[in-house]
Amino acid sequence: MITDSQAIVTAKDVHRRFGEGDAAVDALDGVSVDFPKGRFTAIMGPSGSGKSTLMHVLAGLDRPTSGSVQIDGLEITELDDKRLTELRRDNVGFVFQFFNLLPVLTAEENIRLPLSIAGRKADPERLAALVDAVNIGDRLAHRPAELSGGQQQRVAIARALVSKPAVVFADEPTGNLDSNASDEVLSLLRRAVDEFGQTVVMVTHDANAAAIADRVLVLVDGKVVQDAHAGSAEQVHDLLKAETTA
Amino acid sequence: MTAVALRNLLARKLRTVLTSLAVVLGVMMVTGTYVLTDTIDQSFGKIFEQSNEGIDAVVTSREKVETDDGQEPSFPAEILDRVKTVEGVESAAGGIFDPQVAILDKQGEPIGGNGAPSFGASVVPDRFEPLNYVGKRPSDDGEVVIDKQTANRADYAVGDRIKVAGKEQAREYDLVGIATLGDVDSFGGASIAVFTLDEARRVTRKQGKLDQISVAAADGVSSKELTRSLADALPRSVEPETGAQNTQSQKEDVGEFISILKTALLIFSGVSLFVAAFLIFNTFSITVAQRTREFSMLRTLGASRRQLVTTVVVEAAVIGLLASVLGLLAGFGFAPAINALFKALEIDLPNQGTVIAARTVILAFVIGIGLTVLASLIPALRITRLPPVTGLREGAVLETPGRYRLRTALATGLTAIGVVAMLLGVFGALSPGELWVGVGAGAIFIGVALLSPRLVGPMASFVGRPVERFRGVAGRLARENAVRNPGRTASTAAALMIGLALVSFVAIFASGLKSSITAAFDKTITADLILSNNDGFSDISAGVADAASELRGVEVASPTRYTQANSAGEEGGSLTLVDTGTVGSVMTLDWKEGDDAVLTGLGETDAVIDEKWGREQGLAVGETFKTGTASGREITYTVRGSFVDRADFNGDYVASDATAADYGEPDSVQQVLLKLEEGADTAAVRKQVDELVGARFPTVESKDRQEYKDFISSELNQLLGGVYALLALAVIVSLFGIVNTLALSIHERTRELGLIRAVGMSRRQVRRIVRYEAVITALIGAVLGSLLGVLFAVIMSRPLADEGFTLSIPVFTLIVLLLLAIVAGVVAAIGPARRAARLDVLNALAYE
Repeated sequence: MITDSQAIVTAKDVHRRFGEGDAAVDALDGVSVDFPKGRFTAIMGPSGSGKSTLMHVLAGLDRPTSGSVQIDGLEITELDDKRLTELRRDNVGFVFQFFNLLPVLTAEENIRLPLSIAGRKADPERLAALVDAVNIGDRLAHRPAELSGGQQQRVAIARALVSKPAVVFADEPTGNLDSNASDEVLSLLRRAVDEFGQTVVMVTHDANAAAIADRVLVLVDGKVVQDAHAGSAEQVHDLLKAETTA
Repeated sequence: MTAVALRNLLARKLRTVLTSLAVVLGVMMVTGTYVLTDTIDQSFGKIFEQSNEGIDAVVTSREKVETDDGQEPSFPAEILDRVKTVEGVESAAGGIFDPQVAILDKQGEPIGGNGAPSFGASVVPDRFEPLNYVGKRPSDDGEVVIDKQTANRADYAVGDRIKVAGKEQAREYDLVGIATLGDVDSFGGASIAVFTLDEARRVTRKQGKLDQISVAAADGVSSKELTRSLADALPRSVEPETGAQNTQSQKEDVGEFISILKTALLIFSGVSLFVAAFLIFNTFSITVAQRTREFSMLRTLGASRRQLVTTVVVEAAVIGLLASVLGLLAGFGFAPAINALFKALEIDLPNQGTVIAARTVILAFVIGIGLTVLASLIPALRITRLPPVTGLREGAVLETPGRYRLRTALATGLTAIGVVAMLLGVFGALSPGELWVGVGAGAIFIGVALLSPRLVGPMASFVGRPVERFRGVAGRLARENAVRNPGRTASTAAALMIGLALVSFVAIFASGLKSSITAAFDKTITADLILSNNDGFSDISAGVADAASELRGVEVASPTRYTQANSAGEEGGSLTLVDTGTVGSVMTLDWKEGDDAVLTGLGETDAVIDEKWGREQGLAVGETFKTGTASGREITYTVRGSFVDRADFNGDYVASDATAADYGEPDSVQQVLLKLEEGADTAAVRKQVDELVGARFPTVESKDRQEYKDFISSELNQLLGGVYALLALAVIVSLFGIVNTLALSIHERTRELGLIRAVGMSRRQVRRIVRYEAVITALIGAVLGSLLGVLFAVIMSRPLADEGFTLSIPVFTLIVLLLLAIVAGVVAAIGPARRAARLDVLNALAYE
């Protein structure tokens, strides 16, 4: 267990069951895990291991059947929809596999979207810094359809960071990109951690992607079976192999 | 977030426009209706104001019975002498104003359309004269002046010799002038012929009588004071009014008619708007479903449910706003179009200048925006049921199948309630009946629409099988596509269903009406020839009967009068006066109690009553009831028998025409029924009759039995034509719905279409798939609509059933409707099919 700094997201004995009776499936079967502030964590596991469910529960998108989830010290499993909405709006950022930009808005408007939803003005300096960091300054007025996949995902990352969330969840952020674009996106997430002190939790099944993280969690059948420093891609591979073939 | 809504609309301009078009047509009809009726109202107002200019008081006969033609009986000319002696009267003049004087065109046919009155009037002294003359006024009994519109229509000019016919034989006059009324060109389709007073009296058979006295007050006497003095001095049989009052009461009379017209048009507008609401609902359901992922994403970004609902509602409001503006503008153009439709139906209404009231504009916006927002609310609220995470998964659907059972129960209940509401409305248990019938029909539509997703599967198989058999895989895919999203297909079809249900209801009901009327005619009218006004309902001269009975081969010529009176305490009921001496040969009754001998033996104070009216009034044979006639005389009738009147030919009761003068109709009759002698040459007699009326009574037309029945059918058909034209708009609105749904579905299936193209399907086949899907949808709507039409006809004819209304299903018409629905489907599919076929295979496959 890594406890070298303060935990920003904490899960305790989280269960998530889908369906009832015989058809019931335990997607999460007693997961307890901390995510320290300013660290980059990758969650890995084979299909159906529960990694996406874990992310959804951690982010307040889905409620656990039992157990506790805290973000920044706040127990979120008890929150009503209104408070959860506010939590997502102010404390959590998301990056998706399919970018999920609004096609009718320009890149810049997409980046500002979380602030617009909250009815807040963007801090121009932070916005400039972000735009600079994601390197799409010349494409700001373009619609998503006019951007490459890598560019779209960079816009999505800027959008996730714009409201200074306590934690950014990235769900297979490179799943839909070629290797060049993947590298750009991963190094961008890395820089977010290193330069902006951002906490990032990334779900991926790509060992190369996971290797950029500080730490790798491996989930199998709804349980955490590995929790280790990431190391190189080969090491991550080995971690994964050891568990899934065991 | 509002920006997102607006951007969405801008990005999908075509959809925005298509969606708003549905509402545009409804708003257009509402606006057009108000603009048209306001304009007509104002034009009539102007006509009345100008005709009463310079008149301080008007004396007319006191109206005792409200009559169909608004004609008041005339009064003795001596009243004028009395008026002149009343204090405060400076001058007074009497005039004739009679609505049954026909101006003939150069072929000898009466000028003017159906229903537009054609007046004969007398010239009045300058100060009371409402008309402006070009040329001179009639100063001699052989001179006449006609109105400008009529002169234009028949191409008459000052100096021509023209024929005018009233109750007397037609006579030729010198046309010495053309008259206009202020700055109004048209009197609402009415024509007017102005004679000298003597000649006007002769033409209208009103010797020694007057219809109206115009009075001017002496200096310092107000028109109110004047009217009061007149009321004190004159007998109760006449009624003095101030000029302003007279204008007002004329306006009110015409206002009643206009409000009926307005209500009728608004009902049709309501139908279109109802259909439009379905389409808005459908379009928003589809787009909300298609944007599931977008909404989920916004939820993960922290957008609240309320914010998402707001974006959809804002979108709806903007579409509504757009629709209101377009509808309003189109409405200004629609008003003349409806007017043209009325003209085609030979109803000419005056409209001078376009009246756009603030109320009209406000209403357009309230309806346009309100309806769109309301209809989008349910789809918008569906977003709130969406947990943020589900939407992000591939292929997320908003439908919750668990609700189906509840929905079916609700839909069945709603349909049942609708049927009950309609029945209660029809039988008058709930009032106003019309409203409840409408509410019931609306509930049935919504109920069936809610039920129809369940029907889509079987119906698509039913109507789709033949397509599939002949068209193979394209047909099969079309059918599968139609049932893939039953809710969507169902509500698209439901929109068409509404229009077609009403069309088929009207067709079925009218066909039942036609056959009932013809059956009743065959049963009760035994005459060989029927003489009546060529417009079908105005009165003709009583002299026709006398003249016709003289002809060789004619056994009897029996006049009948259809008139109004206040009978048994009811205002303005109708009745028929018959000539007891001759009626036996031309007419019988469907007797309940009594026989033909009772009819021919009617004395002056005897009556035979419609048994239905008798039941309502609680009258039995042997009992008496009182009738207040137009002349003011009260007659006490004894009931001698009762009859069943299937087509309401005879009104509440039948009595002897010995009292015709009391009813204010001594010289005019509705019809003259001829019975020919045994063995007479029908054609030869007919020729004589036609020669007689051609020469002496140009407004009269003869019809044999078949022609008379055909005439009734054609009158009904004309009305039907108008109704269809107005319902067509609702059908057009629903076609936009099919286009819209198809376009949205194709957008959704881009990848799939790319796939089938990639495996070798031709563009033509792709077009076919789309076309057949449209046809299947349209047919589902048409089949449901026809069935509902039959249901409505059955319900609506229930109360008439005991009067012998026989429902006949016009199979041919219904088949034509189904064929039209197919055509409509094909037409609606043109755009979307082309779009689907044009998709580039590679791009379509790479889509997302």
